[in-house]
Amino acid sequence: MKADVAATQRTVLSVHNLRVRYDTPSGAVTPLRDFSLSIGEREVVGLIGDAGSGKSTAALAMMGLVRPPGRLISGQVLFGGQDLMEMDEDQLRALRGKDIGIIVQNPRSALNPMLRIGRQIGNVYRAHSDASAAAARDRAIEMLRLVGINDPERRVAAYAHELSGGMAQRALIAMALSSEPRLLIADEPTSGLDVTIQAQFLDQMWDSVQQTGSAILLISQDLGIIANYCDRVAVLHDGRIVEDRPARDFFAAPEHPYSRDILGLQRAAASGVARTSEPVAPGEPLVEVTALAKAFPIHGSDKVVQALQSVDLSVGPGETLGLVGESGSGKTTVGRCLLRLEEPTSGDITYRGAPISGIPKEALRAFRRKIQIVFQDPYDSLNPRWTIRRVLQEPLDLHTRLGKAEKTARIRDLLEMVGLDQALIDDKPRGLGASAMQRLNIARAIAVDPEFIVLDEPTSVLAPQAVTGLIALLRKLQKELGLSYLFISHDLTTVRFLCHRVAVMYLGQIVEVGRVGQVFEDPQHPYARALLSAHLFPDPTRRRVDQDVPESLSGEIPSPVDLPRGCYLAGRCPFAVDRCRSEAQPLVALEDGRQVRCWRVIEGDLEGAA
Amino acid sequence: MVARYIFRRILVGTVQILSLVIAVFFLIRLLPADPVSRFVGLNSSAEAYAQAERNLGLDRPLLTQLGHYLGVLPSEGPGLLQGSLGTSWVTGTPVLTEIGQALPITIELLTFAFAVALLISVPVGMLAALRPGGAADRGVFAYSLFAGSQPEFWWGLLFVYVFFFVLGWAPAPLGVLSPLTSPPPPVTGFITLDSLIAGRPDTLFEVLHHYMLPVATMVFILSGPIIKMVRQNMVRALGSDFVLYARCAGLPKGQVARYALRAAMAPSVTLIGILYGFMLGGAVLIESVFSLGGLGQYAIRSVLAFDYPAIQGVILVITAISLLVYLALDLIHAVIDPRVAYG
Repeated sequence: MKADVAATQRTVLSVHNLRVRYDTPSGAVTPLRDFSLSIGEREVVGLIGDAGSGKSTAALAMMGLVRPPGRLISGQVLFGGQDLMEMDEDQLRALRGKDIGIIVQNPRSALNPMLRIGRQIGNVYRAHSDASAAAARDRAIEMLRLVGINDPERRVAAYAHELSGGMAQRALIAMALSSEPRLLIADEPTSGLDVTIQAQFLDQMWDSVQQTGSAILLISQDLGIIANYCDRVAVLHDGRIVEDRPARDFFAAPEHPYSRDILGLQRAAASGVARTSEPVAPGEPLVEVTALAKAFPIHGSDKVVQALQSVDLSVGPGETLGLVGESGSGKTTVGRCLLRLEEPTSGDITYRGAPISGIPKEALRAFRRKIQIVFQDPYDSLNPRWTIRRVLQEPLDLHTRLGKAEKTARIRDLLEMVGLDQALIDDKPRGLGASAMQRLNIARAIAVDPEFIVLDEPTSVLAPQAVTGLIALLRKLQKELGLSYLFISHDLTTVRFLCHRVAVMYLGQIVEVGRVGQVFEDPQHPYARALLSAHLFPDPTRRRVDQDVPESLSGEIPSPVDLPRGCYLAGRCPFAVDRCRSEAQPLVALEDGRQVRCWRVIEGDLEGAA
Repeated sequence: MVARYIFRRILVGTVQILSLVIAVFFLIRLLPADPVSRFVGLNSSAEAYAQAERNLGLDRPLLTQLGHYLGVLPSEGPGLLQGSLGTSWVTGTPVLTEIGQALPITIELLTFAFAVALLISVPVGMLAALRPGGAADRGVFAYSLFAGSQPEFWWGLLFVYVFFFVLGWAPAPLGVLSPLTSPPPPVTGFITLDSLIAGRPDTLFEVLHHYMLPVATMVFILSGPIIKMVRQNMVRALGSDFVLYARCAGLPKGQVARYALRAAMAPSVTLIGILYGFMLGGAVLIESVFSLGGLGQYAIRSVLAFDYPAIQGVILVITAISLLVYLALDLIHAVIDPRVAYG
């Protein structure tokens, strides 16, 4: 208790033994059992925990809100010495948005789709001040400028659907900061944003909050964000805070077993088991792609979306090639073309030297047996009405002539290989959780002994600790079965851990490809540099906010319908000169074996340029 | 932008109406009906039959008849293009005149009924949405099940029995004016407006009094689906992220409610338009119970009499009004919801 009294001097908000319960028809759920947390002035506190661990519930509860049908059962939420739980609705309303601001994930759905954003920001401002409509509008413009929106006079008139995700998130933060709250709760503020945009946004949020002097509670599943922006880390597990320590201590030596789990991947990556050192078996590439292009016609127009252009890549036996890039860069389309789920517009794909476009329909099944895919969303890619047995038996029925007992034995083997309990065999996958479902997807993919697996963002919906396990599983399977992977991901931390080589894509082109060590340690292409510098590695000793970040990309990604004539990056690139804008760039090999699509790099112009 | 959109919609609508007119023209003539013998009687002489056929114009080739109806054959007299819907075979009066008398009554009935129904349903639906499963919500559910499960003419009769026969609050269900009152001189055709123009408040009051019971019946029927729809949309809006966020931002209660209501009304508008279009011809049972002489009644009379020009006229008018109502509501929808693009 003594510590509490001392802390009240500088504590903005403190929560004690908070309990939230949802009474659902299928029974009561208690996402928060005994939740306690305090946030000091100007402090940035990170809150981490699994998906569904109650982080968002906690965020709302700190404003005295809970989504129906949930209820705040007991506990205290103290703000400025007052308990929110005892306040009436009017007092709470006056507090929300004025003293505590919040920004949430999915900013576009949090903005009213029917009101111009200037009006919305103004409404919030006026709810907490006696400003006139005109003053509120001026305030909206001022706030939009503060959060880094260009041309705020024009943007106040925009509707939410006219803004990009990053822009909508900025509008939301402008709203949340308009009354200069003493605490800003940021609930996964960058989920759904591309990494380069994410970095821009977080930097901007950091700056804005420094200017308004607020404290921040930053909720995220991304350890990179936590490490780079937070002073202190709190871990939510099982409805309680299980660990609450300064960020550096936390990342250096987590105490709680759950925290250690979460940090596992980062540990492993740091301890040098990254792939760069492993030799890759020499010999003929298994899969080879040359000059692949894919254009999607736009309905009701003669224009096309250029999804892929002159993509060249190869994957050897037992090798993992990482394919990274922001959303819309064409990563997934490459994977789909490899499986012939999508017919390329032009270009060649060969498998063991034979073109796959020439495979007749009858032989396609035999070919597909050799190439499998694991999709991003484990929930969508498993039929929830089927038992696990049936899910795994389907490929065996299609591709093998095993007897019934042999199939059962094989299914049990597969479950064991992916680390699932064999006793689950006649259960439905529904209750499994994302991580186990993704393991089941992997079991299905390896059921018929493929040689090559396309992994399309298999870890993107998983919690950090589940990601660690899945990556370890993929490496184990690769070693045991000699598999080759095409690993599509936007999470550079997992790529570094799983891949031998990596290809960076931008707007349907590969801009740089090379060994993971080369590209990650010393990226050459300006886009690869920006991508790597924007990526937040979970290392609190090299925080982005403590450093001078080099001039990064500016502006927004061009539309793949109207691509620039020269280099696609020229409009955003800090190194662009006239020649870049007029000349299309070919992918050229450097001396060290990697390939780069930038003439200035090739001619050595950019050496030493940060 | 908007003007171009309206122009295009009207152009497309005109083409649609024209196609429908032509299709209906042939479809009616495919009916296994013999309008001629209906007029001259089954036992008439062949000569009288032929004479009647000639009078109705049914002796000429089909395409000539169509050309005449559309008005593209100047020698045959005025048609659709000249603004004529032909002459009723039963009464000999131009169809346009007859519809001109029946349509305003139906429109007045529907407009009053929809206005009152919305005034009642929107707040009630909102109330039900605030506490799903609460007392108001359960009451609304019971009511809409009860009101919707029985045919409207039955409710009409029941209302007549209670409010006219037992309580005596309403006038006899015999049209929009008592037989002794002379109607105001027609200017717009809408009897309420005409009474106003003629400066006869007593007549206006009488008309409204006569509309009271049929409107009440319709409101009783219409409110069920409208309340349910408003409730449904409101529940969705209240559960949406932006309403939750508005609460997080500390907006006053009334403003949060307005955010939600606006989101709930946008999709409701479309359904109300469809209901309105449907009721143009579908109000016939209520019109009949109260002897209002509206468009639905006129349509039924024409169909039973094989009065081809009248049937065609009614279909044309209902279609045209429906399309205009849809257009108007789409424009309203776009005003409420900026995401709606004119495309």
